[in-house]
Amino acid sequence: MRRILYIEDDLEIGSWVQEDLEQRGYNVQWLKTGEGAEKAVINSDLVILDVMLPGLDGFTVGQRLKKEAPYVPILMLSARTAVDDKLHGLQFADDYVTKPFHPDELAARIEVLLRRSGLSVSNEIRLGHICVNLSENTIVDQRNGEEIILTGKQYQIFMHFIKHPNQILTKEQIYESVWGEQYMEGDKTLMVHIRYLREKIEKNPGSPEIIETIRGIGYRVKQ
Amino acid sequence: MKLKNSLLNQYLLIILFAIMIVPISFLGISILFFNYLPTDVEPSKYQNGTDLEAMWHEEAQSLAGASDDQINEKLTEIKKEYSEASMFWVDETGQTRERLPESLSVPPSWSPALTIDYMKKNRGLEVDPFTVVALIGKKKDEGFMILQVPRSAMLSAGQSLQERYSYAIILAVVAVLAIFIFISWIFFYKIRKRLLRLQQAMSSPAESGIPDTISVEKRDEIGQLEVSFNEMIHQLEISRVREKEEEMLRRQLIANLSHDLRTPLTTIRGHAFSLKKEALSDKGKESLDLIDNKIGYLGQLIENLLSYTLLTTGKYPYYPERTDMVRLVKTSFAAWYPVFEGAGFQMEVEFPETTFYWEVDPQRVERVLDNFYQNIYRHARNGAYIGVKIDAHLQEIFIEDHGPGMGGESIEKGAGIGLSIVSLMLKDMKLKWETETGEHGTMIKIRKRS
Repeated sequence: MRRILYIEDDLEIGSWVQEDLEQRGYNVQWLKTGEGAEKAVINSDLVILDVMLPGLDGFTVGQRLKKEAPYVPILMLSARTAVDDKLHGLQFADDYVTKPFHPDELAARIEVLLRRSGLSVSNEIRLGHICVNLSENTIVDQRNGEEIILTGKQYQIFMHFIKHPNQILTKEQIYESVWGEQYMEGDKTLMVHIRYLREKIEKNPGSPEIIETIRGIGYRVKQ
Repeated sequence: MKLKNSLLNQYLLIILFAIMIVPISFLGISILFFNYLPTDVEPSKYQNGTDLEAMWHEEAQSLAGASDDQINEKLTEIKKEYSEASMFWVDETGQTRERLPESLSVPPSWSPALTIDYMKKNRGLEVDPFTVVALIGKKKDEGFMILQVPRSAMLSAGQSLQERYSYAIILAVVAVLAIFIFISWIFFYKIRKRLLRLQQAMSSPAESGIPDTISVEKRDEIGQLEVSFNEMIHQLEISRVREKEEEMLRRQLIANLSHDLRTPLTTIRGHAFSLKKEALSDKGKESLDLIDNKIGYLGQLIENLLSYTLLTTGKYPYYPERTDMVRLVKTSFAAWYPVFEGAGFQMEVEFPETTFYWEVDPQRVERVLDNFYQNIYRHARNGAYIGVKIDAHLQEIFIEDHGPGMGGESIEKGAGIGLSIVSLMLKDMKLKWETETGEHGTMIKIRKRS
């Protein structure tokens, strides 16, 4: 069971979100103020934090929680104007959802954040004919049960896709997060790596199904 | 007004002092002169020619009817008293008699012509020696006697001093003049220095953008100016603080308003979502979808409204930086790609390999692009086409759709405020957008304001 610490002062929204998330299979601890959050965060896998709270505001609470437990992702919920909050909030928060949010969107964001910190509901992700086991860090071809072995960079690129599911990633974004360097115009390194990666995981590297090319923009892995 | 509080009075005093120094010093020197300097010198008995003349005539009178010996005796007596003077007398026959001193060169006998000539030569104020001629007795038949005093002996002590010290007087005048000029120079130099200090304080603002106050040392006109300057700085600081407070209040108000509007919307959406899980007719589900759709639209509208308020009052954050435009447009479209994909749009992108840079706020550019994408998604859905292209050479960004055009009817209105925001934001970043719109689509072009 994934434990979510939910800090929200509005009773109507709070009870509805708690109920919805519990139906989706999360264990939700709901606090009405930031008090006691620092203690509760230790036993949580994710924090959903409202910006406007009585007493200490959400930003302050969030910063304290990050200090207490840096590895627990924080998802900010805000009903204020996005202009101010984005500048303010995203410095420590891992993601940001503006009210009125859709419950499905909230759940999707939670799932992405949990996956990024290695705490997804399911440890196995099926992508076409391959199965990725996140707890064992293995990729298995289900047609013959053989494990696919990737090189270091190929694995890093692949995992970057897994952590950003359904998101279109530009080659600059992928290069910079995998190599940790500024992307140089016209650099073909990433394309070469993706070609080799596709040769290993795609059924037919000529028409890839797992790593999709979005013409003119980048790549995407749908889940 | 006290003297130390007025530069004008101070300078008037300096000028007054300079004017008064002549008579005052004259008075001072005179006092010095008569009281201290030549205390040992008695007023000279030769000094006054009139006195000498009176004395000589009186003595001559007193010798009326005197014998020659008596006259000789008298002259010797006078000579003793007036040792500087020389004297002689001539008897009634015109013979020169007693001469004192003996060496005195005078004619031995006096004809009337010689006498007259002598008298003529020794007349006047300047003639040296000073000569007095007196007839002996009253009857004018007893001869005459002559007294001669060298002019040099007749000088007063003051006159001799004056001669001795005349260069010192010139020197003193020059010195007084020099001192006056020097004092004036110091006076104006100090004023200038203080004015420059003030000018410097005014033209060098502190970090806050307002100059610092300066210390007031004197209470004169410049001091008052400094006090006024400090007062002005104080006023500026107060108004700056007030302005900040008002800005804070406005932001707070907008944040609260946004919060108060969005919170119930969230609740409504939550309940609509819960309702959808109940057993409903198709029509009921359709209604819920419409509610959900409208809630999303309302949320967007609130955001736009508040952004618009912030923009028009100049309170919208603006952090321009050198931005890779191709990358920015590409990333922003990547986020919208799934939305258009889901709505069945045909997408065409053309991003060049080489990029170009603009000095813009990337957050704002994203917001602008989002607004265009949103409009296309909402209003140009029946065209089912979106094209995003960049011309790196001309530095132009194109967004194209095949919708009914901006003049066309759309199911959802309210694009106006979104486009106003776009215009305001682009204007701040020295960009502009042009649009070609018709029944078969719209082409938006973003480029630099030329």
